Amino acid sequence: MEVKLNTNVLTNNNVAADYNRDLFHKTKTLVINVMSSPGAGKTTLLEETIKKLSKQYRIGVIEGDLATEKDADRIRQLGAKAVQINTHGGCHLDARMVVATLPEFDFEEIDILFIENVGNLVCPSGYDLGQNHKVAVLSVPEGNDKIPKYPQMFMRTELVLLNKVDLLPYLDFDVETAKEDLKGINPESTLLPLSAKTQEGMDSWYSWIDEAYQACLKQ
Amino acid sequence: MHEMALMGDILDIIMKDAESKGIKQFSRIDLIVGELSNAMPDALTMAFEIYKEQNAQLFTKDASLHIQFEEAISECIFCKTVYKPDFKISICPSCHMPSGKLISGETFQVLSYEGE
Ligand SMILES: Nc1nc2c(ncn2[C@@H]2O[C@H](COP(=O)(O)OP(=O)(O)OP(=O)(O)O)[C@@H](O)[C@H]2O)c(=O)[nH]1
Ligand SMILES: [Mg+2]
Ligand SMILES: [Zn+2]
Repeated sequence: MEVKLNTNVLTNNNVAADYNRDLFHKTKTLVINVMSSPGAGKTTLLEETIKKLSKQYRIGVIEGDLATEKDADRIRQLGAKAVQINTHGGCHLDARMVVATLPEFDFEEIDILFIENVGNLVCPSGYDLGQNHKVAVLSVPEGNDKIPKYPQMFMRTELVLLNKVDLLPYLDFDVETAKEDLKGINPESTLLPLSAKTQEGMDSWYSWIDEAYQACLKQ
Repeated sequence: MHEMALMGDILDIIMKDAESKGIKQFSRIDLIVGELSNAMPDALTMAFEIYKEQNAQLFTKDASLHIQFEEAISECIFCKTVYKPDFKISICPSCHMPSGKLISGETFQVLSYEGE
């Protein structure tokens, strides 16, 4: 017998993502899915963001890594609630893994939840986690070719944090070229050059968060 | 890459459906895989062979996976030019505006399966 299905392969993931989205919406939690290659600076950016914004917002973090609690521990040292997901070889977070962490949070007590995805510039972009926003981090040492070479990531995110601009004088990365390349893939996306190390440019990122949070309250 | 996990999802989808129809063994699965879907056809085929070996009772001996590849294609919302996006998905090659939208290439579906 032949059976026609025409079913999205990611159906199971998308059901879980909708469940998350519904909960985040009901509890007015702003959820930001942060994705990048390994070492682009996701955890460092989150550390700096928590230091800067923890007086204003109650922040929670889900940390996705292949193994270890290292990144969650870095966040906990700042006094923020962090839950580590270990994917044991899995190259991305999926929405079901996020569902499994939900009982550990009291979302009435959280304003902003950051989800740090597994370091990987390809696979995480394909998985809806139920977030409000998807943000990519790209870092100067990775080179100019990454935006055209990994179009899936940049067409599915709305903001690119270009991190480690303190290293621009030593490397041949060209910011204008990166902006042009991004426009070619996703004209709706914005590139913010910044450095989590020197704080240069971080205020634009904090303003973006403020706006996103206000929009989240209104929806 | 994560084709083993994706194949697990695919089997989960067809097994759930097959249960309601009393189908116990599969002889063919048809997928459509978009160029921008983050899944590689060759790796999916390999994953299928591994699942088949590990779950022999679920498949007929000559059970096969068929993949229809969906190319990435953009269309300009202004001048309606249809083009292969290369890595500049949104730049229209005719009017040079950032007005191209993907119209194909992201699909990733189980089209059908066969079994008894
Ligand atoms: N020079 C410079 N180094 C930075 C900056 N931000 C982060 N780093 C360094 O980059 C390295 C990696 O940073 P992480 O924050 O651990 O990167 P990550 O993206 O969380 O890495 P994974 O979780 O392993 O994918 C660390 O040594 C940081 O100190 C920056 O703005 N400038
Ligand atoms: Mg990290
Ligand atoms: Zn055009």
